[in-house]
Amino acid sequence: MSNLNSLQYFIPELFLTVSILVIIIVDLFLKKEKKVVSAYLTALALLVAMALSFQQYNFSPASLFEGMVVLDSFAIFFKILAAFSTLIIVFISLPTFRDKAEYYVLLLVVTLGMFIMVQVNDLLMILLSMEMVGVISYVLAGYNKKNLKSNEASLKYLLFGAASTGVMAFGFSYIYGMTGHTNLYLIQQALLNNNPHPLAFFIAVVLILAGLGYKIAMVPFHFWVPDVYEGSPTPITAFFSVGPKAVGVALFIRFLTTIVAHPASTGLYDFTQNIPIKLPELLAVLAVLTMTLGNLSALQQKNIKRLLGYSAIAHVGYMLMALVVFNGNAIVAVMFYAIVYLFMNFGAFWIVETITPKLKSERIADYTGLGYRAPFTAVALAVFLFSLTGIPPTAGFIGKVYLFSAVIKEQWYLLAVLGVLNSVVSLYYYAYVIKVMFLNQPENNDLIEVPLYNKVLTWVLLIPTLVMGLYWNPVITFTENSLGLFFGK
Amino acid sequence: MVAFYIVLLFFLIGMLIVGITLVISRILQSRKSYPEKYIPYECGELPQGEAWIQFNNRFYIIALIFLIFDVEILFMFPWAVVFDTFGMLAFIEMLIFVVILLVGLAYVWAKGDLEWVKPKPKLAHLAKKKGA
Amino acid sequence: MIQTALIIWLLPLAAFVINIFIGKRLPRKGDWVSTGAIGVSFLLSYYMLFQILGNYNPDFALQASVPWIDLGETFKLNMGIYLDNLAVIMTVVVTTVSFLVHVYSIGYMHGEPLYNRFYAYLSLFSFSMLGLIMWDNLFGIYIMWELVGICSYLLIGYYFEKDSAANAGKKAFITNRVGDFGFLIGLLIVFTALGTFNLSDIHQGVSQGQLSGGLLTAAGVLLFAGAIGKSAQFPLHVWLPDAMEGPTPVSALIHAATMVAAGVYLMARLSFMLSLDAMLVVAYVGGFTAIFAATIAITQNDIKRVLAYSTISQLGYMIMAMGVGSYTAGFFHLTTHAMFKAGLFLGSGSVIHAVHHAMDKTGSHGDPNDIRNMGGFKDKMPVTYITFVIFSLALSGIPFFSGFLSKDAILGGTLAFAMSQSNPIHYLLPVFGFGAAFITAFYMFRLIIKTFLGQPQKPELYEHVHESPKVMTVPLMVLAALSIWFIYTLPSVNPMGAAGGWFMHLIRQPISAVAAQLGHPVYIITEHAEHAAHVNGIIISIILAFGGILLAFAFYFWKKVDVEALTEKIKPLYNLSLNKYYFDEIYQATVINGLLAWNNLLKWFDENIIDFIVNFSAKVVRVFSAFDGKFDNLVIDGMVNAVADMTLQFGRGFKKLQTGQIQYYIMGALLGTFLIIIFTLI
Repeated sequence: MSNLNSLQYFIPELFLTVSILVIIIVDLFLKKEKKVVSAYLTALALLVAMALSFQQYNFSPASLFEGMVVLDSFAIFFKILAAFSTLIIVFISLPTFRDKAEYYVLLLVVTLGMFIMVQVNDLLMILLSMEMVGVISYVLAGYNKKNLKSNEASLKYLLFGAASTGVMAFGFSYIYGMTGHTNLYLIQQALLNNNPHPLAFFIAVVLILAGLGYKIAMVPFHFWVPDVYEGSPTPITAFFSVGPKAVGVALFIRFLTTIVAHPASTGLYDFTQNIPIKLPELLAVLAVLTMTLGNLSALQQKNIKRLLGYSAIAHVGYMLMALVVFNGNAIVAVMFYAIVYLFMNFGAFWIVETITPKLKSERIADYTGLGYRAPFTAVALAVFLFSLTGIPPTAGFIGKVYLFSAVIKEQWYLLAVLGVLNSVVSLYYYAYVIKVMFLNQPENNDLIEVPLYNKVLTWVLLIPTLVMGLYWNPVITFTENSLGLFFGK
Repeated sequence: MVAFYIVLLFFLIGMLIVGITLVISRILQSRKSYPEKYIPYECGELPQGEAWIQFNNRFYIIALIFLIFDVEILFMFPWAVVFDTFGMLAFIEMLIFVVILLVGLAYVWAKGDLEWVKPKPKLAHLAKKKGA
Repeated sequence: MIQTALIIWLLPLAAFVINIFIGKRLPRKGDWVSTGAIGVSFLLSYYMLFQILGNYNPDFALQASVPWIDLGETFKLNMGIYLDNLAVIMTVVVTTVSFLVHVYSIGYMHGEPLYNRFYAYLSLFSFSMLGLIMWDNLFGIYIMWELVGICSYLLIGYYFEKDSAANAGKKAFITNRVGDFGFLIGLLIVFTALGTFNLSDIHQGVSQGQLSGGLLTAAGVLLFAGAIGKSAQFPLHVWLPDAMEGPTPVSALIHAATMVAAGVYLMARLSFMLSLDAMLVVAYVGGFTAIFAATIAITQNDIKRVLAYSTISQLGYMIMAMGVGSYTAGFFHLTTHAMFKAGLFLGSGSVIHAVHHAMDKTGSHGDPNDIRNMGGFKDKMPVTYITFVIFSLALSGIPFFSGFLSKDAILGGTLAFAMSQSNPIHYLLPVFGFGAAFITAFYMFRLIIKTFLGQPQKPELYEHVHESPKVMTVPLMVLAALSIWFIYTLPSVNPMGAAGGWFMHLIRQPISAVAAQLGHPVYIITEHAEHAAHVNGIIISIILAFGGILLAFAFYFWKKVDVEALTEKIKPLYNLSLNKYYFDEIYQATVINGLLAWNNLLKWFDENIIDFIVNFSAKVVRVFSAFDGKFDNLVIDGMVNAVADMTLQFGRGFKKLQTGQIQYYIMGALLGTFLIIIFTLI
């Protein structure tokens, strides 16, 4: 579709762009005590962007801007998810960054980047959108300018990101060399017709994996995660662990379904690999490594944010596990898990954000007896942690059921068993936090006053976590309806 | 396809040569140590003061802002080339692009980041704590 | 209508959530939240009732469901609501009693600690009970079934600092579990055979003969086991009298009117799938319970216990009715009984409340439930007295009251059943029924005479007894009004039968799936027998009811018979009844001690045999360690700790990878990339 015609399909993105500019300018004219208005404007902009994206379900799938991006229901789903996760982050950030308009604008820019990232249909757009999300993320990680750890996090993130992106770009050059195209669909067609050499193709795929793997924190490209998660401001850590990661997974799926495989004739959303390479086996190994390393490292952590950072790595492992079989079932399972993960992970981080200023500590040991000091908050955290472990009747359990059943249906039994074993290991460190909170008596019995705002937001995250554990059918139906990948130039 | 093997070969040989050079210099080097060896300029020039001096970080900010407009000019070149074919549409497109950047410039200006000496915010109510 | 039902159902849940979390901080500790919620449900349920009265269609049914769990072909479960006349009337019964009990409790529970929690539990109970009524599949019913069990447990043990209350709660819960286990197995049989939990699908499946013969009977009897537990039928009746440890409003709501009737309701819902043998089991269990519990009620001195045994006995009637195919009569009795028995409990609560306060004032100690502390209260508590008499007349089956209609319908049905069967042994059932009716009239008037009439037995308490507040007496009056016959017989006002009334018209026995499967009715009840039974039944039951009342007056009011002497003469029988046929003791001796003995056996086995094996193997290992000193460490400790240690060691190792130096990170990533390539190439 030509550029001018494409604009009508690009309204959410255009709207975000305009909002960014407007909020920046509005901020200049706001008095100090009214700066919070820009946060509200941001929230409003995100809500509208969500609504506009939702509207796009009416469009039939199409490729826009001469095939640079595609608009399909899969992309719309992740756009809504991305906007929603940023919206929650705006509310999570409010107590910390009340009057930082720049901060909210940066969040909006990342959202714009994520919007494009889930719609890419071209190698160059992959690079551009990833950089757009990446560069702003580096700034956000270092947002506490006075905090050395935050600075360090930002720099590490930048260097690691630069290295990974470089490797990925190198992989792109291989692909371009073999096919002569940058458009993903054309690459798919070319690969089908030309039969490139498996080895060269495989190396290219692995190099690209480095870039994608860095974005979603897959082993062995995860090294930046714990340091960055610990150093960044907590709301940003929460954001990194959900929003960019979810769209990273979306990009990963897009990559798998175009460059690596093509739709098979056997059924809707069955895929056949373009080149006979051992990619599923490789992904299986990486998935197991990712979850194992995440879980085993989390066992040793004394800092709750670092613990959640490692657990975030483990959860990527679970999602990757389903991508090993990448058929329609698995993709739906991953999409559903992304929703579930959004609520439970934001919930856990939000409680940490609520509690940390009260305890003036992020150490798990300081959570001793929290169940007596702030009962509601502690119970909510326990629910979120149980959900992360995957214990019924929480949403996390249902999410995992779908992931595992997708794997088992394709007879990857060993993978499923390793996944379950990993869940058992994760129970240890999640339950440890719960044990510390409830079974140990606190040294100091003062009740912790939790503001109403924090409680309300906790409820907002808690209710879906519990309700989806009991009644998830509408959500899974919505997810299944969103499974629509568009192939075309 | 063979071409890619050549690339791979190049890659391996390159690594090998770097490795061999390092190993050779490791074997051949003499390991004598004297104080002059540890000063930055072995030619005999004595350094003055610390190497870790503080630059004014305005340098970076100005450089960054410059870079943005530099890139803007870069984008304008291809635009200028095809301007004739697209006419008004191209003009409007570029106008939007420039306006976006101008908004950025206005923002930077208002925040006082264009001043060289001790930034004073242009708008009084933007005053904030130093460094915050 | 479905939306109305949903609102009715979910309002109490909302009230529960609000009360359990922030009830303590609300004004009046949140009683208005629960009462308001059930009040709205109450009004809406009457709106539904008027709708079905407007329809006046016995076959009315509505169903709406949404998919709940969908695991492809293997397992599908819907969440849905099934509304027919039965469900609507049951909803009305539950919301009515529940609402009145909520109101009554404002007075009765005033000033109790954990007041908000009491209301929260009441709301949760209302929610679960309504769910049990409305849910369209057995799976959901089972969930709600267990939930009402939990609420019952929580509310019986409401005074949990009292040992007897805590134990009663546990006893109720555990006894119920026995029955529920049967229910669960029955559920699984049904699901295995038919692959569905949905009631209408089950109906269809059974009609087509997919579940038949012995398995069908087994499923029916096992599902009935759940009802035995919940409706306190013989032999699992032991928990209900103890459940009276709970607050009296709870006894009225849960242990008289609604939850215990859930078993009957379940049998009504499932009556279409009962085979002949299963129905006979149901009938005999019910009939036996009816007379058995009645004989115990004669000798009890605790006002609430008398009522508890009376409840068991009446539930036996209903169950018996289900068993002999008098579906409508059974459910009719459930409805009327819910009203007057709730009223009796609330009335007894009013009395106990008064005695309790009098005891507080006089500083005397004693059991406020004991009828030997009462007597002559009729002048002090006129409203309570009059309503109590109305309820008792209804329960005894005196014409012009609702109980007469429903009880007579059951007795008539039983008699007709016996007359239609070739085997004369089945006359046992009407004998049980009529016998229980006589005894019921007797013990109810014994209770009234000892409580309200005659001379005060404790004059010092009598002085301080006074009528309960309005908030408690008004519910009594409402329930008394609901015990008058014509409420149920409109548009006819015939006091001798409800045949022409709306109730009998709307509630009609569903077509039996078993009959459809067999091709002939499960029972054949001849029209002649039905007519004869109806006429004879009315005459006999009126005579028996008045006879019982007269006997009670002769014994306790006019003192024509020396009760003490009579008691002495039949001492063994009297003791048997007073001690409830020693059932608690028998269970203690057999089940509980048996379990304990089994436990001890296991303990002995553990301590001797297992430990011996462990010790022996340790010895063997020690012998080996003589040859190899390290063997012990490696095998015994090693096996235990290795896994945990290894996990932690790995963790430590991985932690070391995280040096904090970015150059190592990037190197690690690049190295990883190469390793991946090389790994896959090999």
